[in-house]
Amino acid sequence: MTSQDSTFPATPGGPNAGRTTSPFFLSNEFGLILLIIVFAVIFGFSAQGFLSQFNLFTLGRNSAVNIMIGLSMMTVIVTGGLNLAVGAMGVSVAMVCGWMIEGVGLPWPLALLGALAFGAALGFINGGMVVRTGLHSFIITLATMSIFFGTMIFLTRAESFRELPSVFSTFGRMKFGGYVSPFLLLTLVVALLLAWLYRRTLTGREMLAAGASPAAAELSGIRVDRIIILCHMLSGVLAGMAALMLVARNGAAIPSMAGQLGQDWLLPAFLGPVLGGTLLQGGKVSVLGTVLGAFLVTMLSSGLLMLQVGAFWVQTFLGLMLLVAVLLDKARRSYLARRNLA
Amino acid sequence: MTNSIYAIAIAGILSAGAATSALAADDSRFGLVPGGPHPYFAAWEQAGVDAAADFGLSAAEYRVPQKWELSQQNQLLESLLSQGYNGFLIFPGDPVGAVSTAEELSGFGAPIIAGAGCYKDPSPAAFCLGTDTGNSAYIGTKELIKAMGDGEKRIAHFTGFLVDPNTQLRIDAVARAAEEEGATVVQVIADIDAPEPAEEKINAYLAANAGNVDGIITTAWVPAVVAANALRKMGDSGIKMVGIDHDEVVIQAIKDGIVDGTMLQNPYGQGYVGAFALDKLRSGCTVSADAPFGSNALTDKFIDSGTAFVDASDADTYLEAMRAETDRLLADFEDKYLTCS
Repeated sequence: MTSQDSTFPATPGGPNAGRTTSPFFLSNEFGLILLIIVFAVIFGFSAQGFLSQFNLFTLGRNSAVNIMIGLSMMTVIVTGGLNLAVGAMGVSVAMVCGWMIEGVGLPWPLALLGALAFGAALGFINGGMVVRTGLHSFIITLATMSIFFGTMIFLTRAESFRELPSVFSTFGRMKFGGYVSPFLLLTLVVALLLAWLYRRTLTGREMLAAGASPAAAELSGIRVDRIIILCHMLSGVLAGMAALMLVARNGAAIPSMAGQLGQDWLLPAFLGPVLGGTLLQGGKVSVLGTVLGAFLVTMLSSGLLMLQVGAFWVQTFLGLMLLVAVLLDKARRSYLARRNLA
Repeated sequence: MTNSIYAIAIAGILSAGAATSALAADDSRFGLVPGGPHPYFAAWEQAGVDAAADFGLSAAEYRVPQKWELSQQNQLLESLLSQGYNGFLIFPGDPVGAVSTAEELSGFGAPIIAGAGCYKDPSPAAFCLGTDTGNSAYIGTKELIKAMGDGEKRIAHFTGFLVDPNTQLRIDAVARAAEEEGATVVQVIADIDAPEPAEEKINAYLAANAGNVDGIITTAWVPAVVAANALRKMGDSGIKMVGIDHDEVVIQAIKDGIVDGTMLQNPYGQGYVGAFALDKLRSGCTVSADAPFGSNALTDKFIDSGTAFVDASDADTYLEAMRAETDRLLADFEDKYLTCS
């Protein structure tokens, strides 16, 4: 999981084929690391308790969920698509998990697996519809966001599943060394696996190729349709993992956990990948950038809350950050192009 | 780079020390945290200010999550604890889902009181201080039916969020009161305690069905305001209405004879008495084993913060009614509910 994790190769054969080699200090990832350090120092000195043991623990726990949400979106952005249903899918997975435990009586490990499979199935529906209709995933997932969430609310009657085994809430409150949430470790393992997928496997390279130029990828023998469906299924699983972490955090599966229609997840879903340098046009991905971007966003939320700038300004600030990040990235790419560095 | 890491390490040590000393400090610094932005809780802000002054607290501050969403509330509570807040009056964002965070807070020795809505037992909350919402809806419906007089009694009920545990209690209570009086609840519209859905659904319903309704009961703040405005626009519709809470629009509509009355709740008293009780709990008092708690669907440690029906005769003096409820509650609170050495 290094910088410039993966870029569309001219030929998807070799693991390093077609990679660009701009200097690390000009990369998004380096900029994010600098920003994280700068803000950590600012908040450390100005926000009472920011570096306290409890806050560092909660920062790790909250960022783990946001990173996972960002990764979920990233896996679809890779193809040049979007997944607006990421929140609706996540909350649906959580509710299915709750139903399997409370309603069906399945042991919780089986319920977790079943719920993640359900997330993959929702992703299959999204991907399948994108491929079959030829419409942009923006339209398809805008529709399925309402369909998934509405169906979930109808079936559950907006009732939570609250009688979950205590292992969930125990896992949600667990601390390693007093500071580290297991959520964070789990998320980092997933991020490493994704980085491996995109850098070291043929399937990962095919995903990038399909995102960069579907027509060229098709001519190269890549079954682009199948790859797009696979990316959406992966997105569904990752959204489900984020939701299940929230279930563990709360000790309950709650229909409102991602806001109305799951829309509360959209900002963190975009912020991580976009700040991290994943191209919205597809074909380029940065797992490390997404991790750093989502962590920066979570740290800013935490720090701004602790500085008591006013909770309502936090959301405004995050929206501004998204805009500034996109503009800075555009300027950076222009600079690199002028210098023939990319 | 090395210097930056060094600076962070130094900052970490200094700030961690500051945070630890703040957590261990002997002063009471309380957070009054609703589930999200909502006018009902605005009275908590003044109540906190008054309580801090009257009881000599370091602070009792009203802190609102940016959205009505459990994750946002959790994040706010975590940050308050990290800043050294050492007691909390909380409207649980979810009666069960919020327990986990409450347990974390209480694990640091911070007393917790549920305000306006309850945690589901078991929870670390000392008790739940809120409106007996079912009783309030029941009394309000009885008052509405009384105002409707003889003839047909077809009632529309406009109420709050489905995820609010109080909503179902209110729906049940209105249905029970209507049944007892031979009235019919012809429509329940829920999940509309926000301006946009309330405007859309109430106005659409009344535009199509005004002739089929004889009375309106509202059991959430925003629907009460929207329904009062709708009746004002409709003019002499013949529809009676009892609202809830003390929004200026509702109070003015009562004075103008458009609305028949409103069921007062006591958010000010919840904030004021809640801060008082948090300070006592932090000073070594414990909840009495034989405290005369009430029960509801969520908890067996319920304290009614008071409710009162206000009509045109006392619409000018409703603030005094709220203060009277608060004074009544505070007068013997320590003796009834706490054991202090």
